[in-house]
Amino acid sequence: MIRVETLSKRFGATVAVDELSFTAAPGRVTGFLGPNGSGKSTTMRCMIGLDRPHSGRATFDGTEYAALRQPITKVGVLLDAGYVHPGRRAVDHLRMIATAGGVANSRVDEVLNMVGLTTVARSRVRRYSLGMRQRLGLAAALLGDPGVIILDEPANGLDPEGIRWIRDMLRFLASEGRTVLVSSHQLGEIALMADDLVVIGRGRLIDECPVGEFIRRHTTSRVRVRSPHVGEIVRQVRIRGAHAEIVGDLAFSDTALITGLAMAEVGETAAEFGAVLHELSEVTDSLEDAFLAVTGDASEFRSGG
Amino acid sequence: MMGAVLAAEWIKVNTVRVHRVIVAVAVCFPLVVGILVAVFTPDPRFVTGADVVDLVTGTSVVSLLLLACLWAINLTAEYAHGTIRVTYAAVPVRWTVIAAKAVVGSVVTAVVMAVTFWAAWWASSTIVGSRGSSASLDQVDDVAATVIGLIMLAVIVSWFALGLGLLIRNSPATVVVTLLWPLLIENLVVLALTLSGVDDPQRWMPYQSAINAVVDEASGPASLGRPWSHMYFAAVALVLVVVGTVLETRRDA
Repeated sequence: MIRVETLSKRFGATVAVDELSFTAAPGRVTGFLGPNGSGKSTTMRCMIGLDRPHSGRATFDGTEYAALRQPITKVGVLLDAGYVHPGRRAVDHLRMIATAGGVANSRVDEVLNMVGLTTVARSRVRRYSLGMRQRLGLAAALLGDPGVIILDEPANGLDPEGIRWIRDMLRFLASEGRTVLVSSHQLGEIALMADDLVVIGRGRLIDECPVGEFIRRHTTSRVRVRSPHVGEIVRQVRIRGAHAEIVGDLAFSDTALITGLAMAEVGETAAEFGAVLHELSEVTDSLEDAFLAVTGDASEFRSGG
Repeated sequence: MMGAVLAAEWIKVNTVRVHRVIVAVAVCFPLVVGILVAVFTPDPRFVTGADVVDLVTGTSVVSLLLLACLWAINLTAEYAHGTIRVTYAAVPVRWTVIAAKAVVGSVVTAVVMAVTFWAAWWASSTIVGSRGSSASLDQVDDVAATVIGLIMLAVIVSWFALGLGLLIRNSPATVVVTLLWPLLIENLVVLALTLSGVDDPQRWMPYQSAINAVVDEASGPASLGRPWSHMYFAAVALVLVVVGTVLETRRDA
């Protein structure tokens, strides 16, 4: 269990993290989302004591990181795949971390095998692609076989196979009862892998809930209806107080989108006057739509136009 | 715990090629210069053991500066590549990491300087001996003090570089300051103090005073003498390390 309590961090006059509180539960993957500059990475660094928070704290099963004995055996962290000396071999990088963290060197070969880097383990890291460095960073996070795993943008630079691999890996780790906190800008991936979400903007908590609940809260559900009698259906649902609009050319379109009535109610309305339906379906917005809706005002940097 | 951190620091030093290259150059420089001088000196019959020791000691100062650069790079590259964050994630008690760096740096520096001195002495004295010289260590007054002084100076300079690295956190800047401190910064201070009417200010410049004491024990007003100049320089270097460590434990990694 990760518990962050009223964490704050300033850089000069800039407030990077502002009284942030959230939890991440064991056995679940928690997505940590926010626009660029929202304070996700700073929060993660504060959680493990690399940055000094001005107030608040983070605990792992009730204990602060600095107080953990052999912390990499309790909390595995991947903050940046670039945190490795390019002139060092991958196996030596992991051996160094294992030795410092009190983990047996035999574990190095195990994690290299887990992340698929065994054949290139003796190459210097400068020859690694970004995707390979991500795998190496994940191997380092898993070295201590920790119960809590914190990953900052782990899918950056991975190819589609790698992205699927990391998704399956994180789902598997959570299924073993571990607490997984993962930040990512790949919202489609988060939607597929995360159970819960913590969404922040400008360092403040915006929302914290399960993924499905987040999408429901921050998007509008609509019903798509396709019928040769679409004009009459639109008229009838408007009489019932719903919002309806025909998609495309008013004279020729047979499709409408209806907001404010459940799918069953739309079907019943159509049945009342014997309308034929070619399609009746619920249109659900994506996590991306919900995220953009909720963080629109909290983006530090926005594109023009 | 400290043993594990020491072992990890040794792995860091031993697994980067540029570190081994610097050590090799540090060992080879006095060796090669000693061999060249021994081969090409015009009248080797008059070369004494003291002459060879002076030559080896003087050229070994270059080796200790190279080793200081090694420790500056070893630390500051961790900030450049972010590996200091990986280290502090594994060992949150930061002063233990810095202490381990100081211990590993001191031991490696001492061993390398001892090997460097003896290799250069052995090669030079053997060559001039084969050309008619009777150079031997028996001709040198207090050779043990000279060697120990050289090794101690190298260890203190490694602390000095560590302290600067902790404060500056940047490889090029730390290397430049480490090298230019005795050559430029202390000379400027000496100039200012001389113009202010201070007598023999050079002896109070910690870095120069210690180097002068090693290169020429009878350096007179340019040094505080062998034990005192080393203690003075060690105190200055340790203050740098302690201040750097205190700042390191308070700053963001």
